[in-house]
Amino acid sequence: MTALLVVALPLLGAAVALVGGHRRRLVAPAAACVSCGAAWVCSLLVAAAHLGDAAPAVVGPYVIGTGGIPLQASLYVDQLSASMLLLATTVAVLVQIYSVAYLRGDPRYPSYAALVSIFTASMALVVVADDLFVLLVGWEAMGACSYFLISHHWELEEARAGAVKAFVMTRLGDVGLLFGIFVAGDAAGSYRITDVVQAASSGGIGRTQATAATLLLLCGIVGKSAQFPLHSWLPDAMPGPTPISALIHAATMVAAGVYLLARLLPLFMLSATTMTVLAVIAAVTMLGGALMALAADDLKRVLAWSTVSQLAYMFAALSIGGYSAGVLHLLSHGAFKALLFLAAGSVIHAVGSQRLDSMGGLRSSMPVTFATMTVGFAALAGLPPFVGFFSKDAVLGVAGEAAFHGDAQARAWLVLVVGLVVEVLTAAYATRAWLMMFFGRRRSDVARAEPHESPWFMSGPLLVLAILSTLGGVAVVRPGFLGVAPEPFHAATALVSLLAVAVGVAFSASEWWRLDGHDPSRRLGPLRPALAAELGYDRALMSAVLSPVRVAMRTVVASESDVVEPYARGVGTGASWANRFLRWLHNGDLQRYVTAIVFGAVAVAVVVGIVQ
Amino acid sequence: MSSLVLDALVALPALGALLAAAVPASGHRLVWFSLGLSTVVLGLSIGAWVAVVDSGPGFHFESDASWIEPIGVRWTLGLDSLSAPLVVVTALLSWCCLVSLVRRAPDCGGSRQLAALVLLIEAGSIGTFVALDLIVFFVFFELVLIPMWFVIADWGDSHDAEGRRRAATRFLVVTVVGSALVLVAFLLLRSETGSFDLTVVADRVRRIDHGRQVAIAALLLVGFGAKVPVWPLHFWLPDAHSKAPTVGSVLLAGVLLKLGTYGLLRFWYDVVPAGALEVAPYLGGLGVVGIVYGALACLAQPDLKRMVAYSSIGHMGFVALAISTMTPQGLLAANFANVAHGAITGLLFFLVGGLKDRLGGTTFDTIGRGLYGRAPRLAALFAVAAMASLGLPGLAGFWGEMLTMLAAFSPNPALPQTTYLVLMALAGLGVVLTTGYFVVAVRRICQGVGPGDSLSDVASDEWLAWAPLVLVTVGLGVAPMAMLWSADGGASLVSAVLSR
Repeated sequence: MTALLVVALPLLGAAVALVGGHRRRLVAPAAACVSCGAAWVCSLLVAAAHLGDAAPAVVGPYVIGTGGIPLQASLYVDQLSASMLLLATTVAVLVQIYSVAYLRGDPRYPSYAALVSIFTASMALVVVADDLFVLLVGWEAMGACSYFLISHHWELEEARAGAVKAFVMTRLGDVGLLFGIFVAGDAAGSYRITDVVQAASSGGIGRTQATAATLLLLCGIVGKSAQFPLHSWLPDAMPGPTPISALIHAATMVAAGVYLLARLLPLFMLSATTMTVLAVIAAVTMLGGALMALAADDLKRVLAWSTVSQLAYMFAALSIGGYSAGVLHLLSHGAFKALLFLAAGSVIHAVGSQRLDSMGGLRSSMPVTFATMTVGFAALAGLPPFVGFFSKDAVLGVAGEAAFHGDAQARAWLVLVVGLVVEVLTAAYATRAWLMMFFGRRRSDVARAEPHESPWFMSGPLLVLAILSTLGGVAVVRPGFLGVAPEPFHAATALVSLLAVAVGVAFSASEWWRLDGHDPSRRLGPLRPALAAELGYDRALMSAVLSPVRVAMRTVVASESDVVEPYARGVGTGASWANRFLRWLHNGDLQRYVTAIVFGAVAVAVVVGIVQ
Repeated sequence: MSSLVLDALVALPALGALLAAAVPASGHRLVWFSLGLSTVVLGLSIGAWVAVVDSGPGFHFESDASWIEPIGVRWTLGLDSLSAPLVVVTALLSWCCLVSLVRRAPDCGGSRQLAALVLLIEAGSIGTFVALDLIVFFVFFELVLIPMWFVIADWGDSHDAEGRRRAATRFLVVTVVGSALVLVAFLLLRSETGSFDLTVVADRVRRIDHGRQVAIAALLLVGFGAKVPVWPLHFWLPDAHSKAPTVGSVLLAGVLLKLGTYGLLRFWYDVVPAGALEVAPYLGGLGVVGIVYGALACLAQPDLKRMVAYSSIGHMGFVALAISTMTPQGLLAANFANVAHGAITGLLFFLVGGLKDRLGGTTFDTIGRGLYGRAPRLAALFAVAAMASLGLPGLAGFWGEMLTMLAAFSPNPALPQTTYLVLMALAGLGVVLTTGYFVVAVRRICQGVGPGDSLSDVASDEWLAWAPLVLVTVGLGVAPMAMLWSADGGASLVSAVLSR
């Protein structure tokens, strides 16, 4: 029941913020922080009860008849949901605290705070739901919240466009998810996740059904977690306020896709086809995302592409059955990516621009932000002893094991090789952004004023996340809290990936040195403009999707005016006597109409009589 | 269980309409009187629904009296879990319409006549939903058209007297032609079974020659289809909506369209299921065409009110698809989607009407951008209604559409399964297109930089009129069992019919 409170409390806070937020200045921030804080405390309690060896808890089911397989509204809390709850509420409460300062004086703050709370509640619902349709409610409510939050600055064209794109694109995937739920539920005879997983592990679901269900489910997962080919909404969602990006990228929304895949992994394991598709998608996405991140000029876009790429790591791990590796990297990424985005917000707050080339030399004026963001970049690049090093090692280690000893070797080799290449790229773009932000000359011509350290409401959350990103490695090495056996430390892959990181760092650092403090990605030569334009993928996709819609739209409009309208008018003229007749009725009384009905009925009856 | 509850549900608004039209008192006082009366009807209908849910399948509150003895027409009324929610929606929307008339007289005056017509529409619609005699059903079905014609033709768009007449007449002609076909079907049923009584007809219908049953089902399809409206019989709808006054649009979308879907559900499922199975795929196909076509037309609309009207075609397409699956699940889905559409589209038309009151028009250009800044609460309500209409889970619209697609995933075994899979997939495409045009509309009017005028935000009487619809939308979305549970009785009734 405590898990239910994690869903309910933020909703309550949202209601208070919406109702009272515009009357008193303190109501909205207090309601938002207190409700999310209380949810965080509740999820600590849930974690205390369910992490480790504890048996999963089930609440419900409350059965709702549908005329077919019933819906069974129920909650399921195990190690996975408890750790996801903890991650989501931790990031949410930090984001709420941070936003109090970040959005200070914004008249839209009350609705913003309420939406963040609803967002948190929806994510909590996703991770504790046992019925797939209940999960879908949280899943799509999150989509709607992100739509509203991305368009927070609705007077900006790119915010409006980004919000529309994010919503429509994820919803396109969600239709697939819905159909996947139909197929999975039909195969298992129940829409409860526990039943589906049970049926999948006990051989109750055939291979064909499993392939159909998982491929359809994968559509929704790919859309939500911004994987190729539905990835382009995520970088475009960047016009939203920066704390929102932290929330979307770290602990909610995009994490939901990975969570669902991890949750249904036994079902996915039944279909080698789906797992191969997943591995290819993951490989393409992690490579593409890292390349885009290397060339992007906008700090938030660098981080967004890095999210796309890091999520693909998780999918890569899951595609070779590495459950704990995928989940651990999800948790670890949640900590360091939230840190990076919040720190980026702190920088943007101070500099007044998101462009990397308008930053530089910030390390002395923003020491806390510099220190914490350094931790974040180190974790992202995979440097020991930070959490990213260990979780990436888990992923690559699993891939290495499978490549040399497993039965799905082609998939595992793909993940291993691409994963190592992406290690190099990740280290390179992390170093590049780090150098361009904090070192070199300050570009005072672009920056609006003397940058200064952010208030404690903003730097406090940064410190908390920096500590988590530094010490989290301990949890990764001993993942007993997930109820799985600890991963052996993969010394061989760790050594190779450290080498890869060193190559990446060395590339960026040496180019930075050689170019005297200019963007190291210039070294990419003619590739750079292409990558900065994101290979034109998005424009091609949009025209490929939108032009048939436009054609269909024009056809419909034409058919309405050229086909339907004349025949409607024909009806009108043909029945102009009816018009006159009705005017006559209008002037007359009810009796006339009754008489007319009777006559009409008699006439039809006569016709029927003749026909018979 | 014989009682006068249903007679009262029909008679109270009808008498009220007569009084409001005939008594020479000030218009304002009579609107209040109508509102009071409709409050009673609303309370009574909710009580009746609860009682029906409690007492399970079958008809309740039956009332039976002789009427036109020579041709065997009896005044028989009854309420079951299929009709009860629709009666409540009718009573609720009429109540909301009357609340909206209390402080806001129409441009051309005559609010008491308009209130009388609203009551008359309410009486006729409730009568249609509770009638258990084919002729009583038909009389009420027709009766609703007359007040609606007046509402559109006399209180419609004040800038276009010719256009509103044309729209009203087009609406009337199409639906009257449709009802003529329905009447033919009824007379065929009578000649085959020797009765106008719904339950008797349903009992004896198995004796009818199969071909006849198919013919009857087809007649009903076209007849009710014109009312729903099923594509391509939809052409009267956008004009009727764009010319109608706000209360007219609300009742037209929320109540009158439901007469068609209710008729199909009642007569296809209860009376001629065997015949309906033969023509059901056509309804499903036309429904899906309506979903996609309506969504594409919405994307191209320059006028918000017309857009909402076309969105109704899409939503009724879902109901048509649900009906065409001929399963208990389809019946539940159709019933749920009916109620959800009544609340959501009613709310959307009220909001559009609110914009029209403030700005004098409903084209996107007239409304302008930036409503989030100019009238934040109104804009937020519109955004919520748009989310509900595009089928966001957690709001009412989702469950109807989801259950519809689920029903299409496993239709009646006698139907072509692959066809229905394709229909389901196309309906899913329609969901994405629907999302597209609603977010584009929100972007167009709510977001962006407005002209800088400041509009009056939602007034207290508007809150009162709109709040029940918001509550129903959110309530049914969060707790869909409210509808699914009550309609289960109907499902068991239907499954009994379908399986025999």
